[in-house]
Amino acid sequence: MTALLLDVVTTAAILFAVASGLLLVFGVMKIINFAHGGLITLGGYAALITTQLGLNPWFGIPMAALFGAVAGTLIERVVVRPLYARPLDAILATWGLGIIIGQTIVLVFGREVQFAAAPLGGTIDLLGESYSLYRIVMVPIAILLGLGIALLLNGTRLGLATRAVIMNEDLARGLGIDSTWVRFVTFALGSALAAVAGALITPLSSVDPNMGVPWLVNAFMLVLVSGTSLASLAAACLVLGGAQVIVSSLYSPVLGGITIALLAAIILRTRPQGFARG
Amino acid sequence: MTPALHIDAISAGYGEAVVLREIALTVAPGEILAVLGKNGTGKSTLLKSIMGYLPKLAGRIAIGGADVTREAPHRIARRGVAYVAQEKSLFQDLSVEENIRLALASDRDWPKARAAVERSFPFLLERIRQRAGTLSGGEQKMLLMARSLAADPKLLLVDEITEGLQPSVIERLGGVLRAERGRSAAGILLVEQHIPFALAVADRFVVMDRGEIVDAGAAGAPGAAAEIARHLSL
Repeated sequence: MTALLLDVVTTAAILFAVASGLLLVFGVMKIINFAHGGLITLGGYAALITTQLGLNPWFGIPMAALFGAVAGTLIERVVVRPLYARPLDAILATWGLGIIIGQTIVLVFGREVQFAAAPLGGTIDLLGESYSLYRIVMVPIAILLGLGIALLLNGTRLGLATRAVIMNEDLARGLGIDSTWVRFVTFALGSALAAVAGALITPLSSVDPNMGVPWLVNAFMLVLVSGTSLASLAAACLVLGGAQVIVSSLYSPVLGGITIALLAAIILRTRPQGFARG
Repeated sequence: MTPALHIDAISAGYGEAVVLREIALTVAPGEILAVLGKNGTGKSTLLKSIMGYLPKLAGRIAIGGADVTREAPHRIARRGVAYVAQEKSLFQDLSVEENIRLALASDRDWPKARAAVERSFPFLLERIRQRAGTLSGGEQKMLLMARSLAADPKLLLVDEITEGLQPSVIERLGGVLRAERGRSAAGILLVEQHIPFALAVADRFVVMDRGEIVDAGAAGAPGAAAEIARHLSL
């Protein structure tokens, strides 16, 4: 029972880390970035490179952030920005980009499954249960990520401009806010977050060119039911991620794999605003 | 003196539909020009064109002597242009303070902006943390006006600020506009349907009909109100 509870909380934390960047980009740009899965994979390989270079595995996180930010910068400038006025085409373009990132990784690193070193190993005794220390550490990391994003949005000038663009882009432009710049920074940040999430999950799963795909599907569903609110996303991760864990351990992991998508579809059918208030 | 705003034969519209036809007008620094006309004659479209929201089909717009015909809205705003749109012009979910800060080029200008708010609508300072959406209709219009003056604009574009307001609030807004004109050298373009308010506040007026300027005159001229009313009733 305790193990199940810990699984629920740690899974929610991991899902939150994976989905937060997607949520940020969706809020500002009103597009779902389907290259998010490719960027998660990129982060996984950043962790792998860190291992291969023999560096401290923790170094994989800033390395992934750098990889993600550079890739996001290029993607926004070259692919997404020319398609601002055509959001559906922009979404399709990011889908194609995800495939390109995956194939490029195959070309460079090969198709095989590889493993990155875990920054933390071993177990911790918690509530009378011996549990993976790394999974537990995901919880404070996810909370720090969430607080960091919230602080950036609510405590800085750029954050205020970003929230203004989310609420009413035309009005924000009329007040002198360069919404193109806000979109650019947001996309780079969202991409960096995706890659960091990719590096964070490598000790829990293997590194392969398609590792981001299942995470992308779940993150996409979680963002759809959360709207643009970080608090809603946290709630959605706990409820849907929790359901996934319970279905996986009590029934079958295969059913667990589609639980989030299935529940999200039902939630959106009965309550279109999902977990967002209002 | 360089005009605050100079519009030279502008035509603009939405796609195929031409809404403005060869509009020409000039606003001097420290001058208030009222743009009057019935609904749907292109008054709001004129302000949107000046702000860069609409592409121009022909003509030229200069603000403070600089050509802004093809500039983006945020660049035009940064030239010291404050635009008060008719609808959805506040961030309802942001606080009074955040709404005002968004109009400033940098948070370093906040003390100056605060002083400007204190001068025009001091009650807002007591409600600085309140969400803009929880203010009454009249208070929201006063916040709009306060925000547009906070950055010390060189050109102020105001779209039907009096719509649906009580006479006492309208009078207060008029007083603030006149005081601002006397204090700074801002040029003000005032789109209005409320003729007595427009003539009391403005120096000159133009009348628009079907996207063209059909009449112009001094706001203080005897018979101006009757002349405008005749256009609006046609």
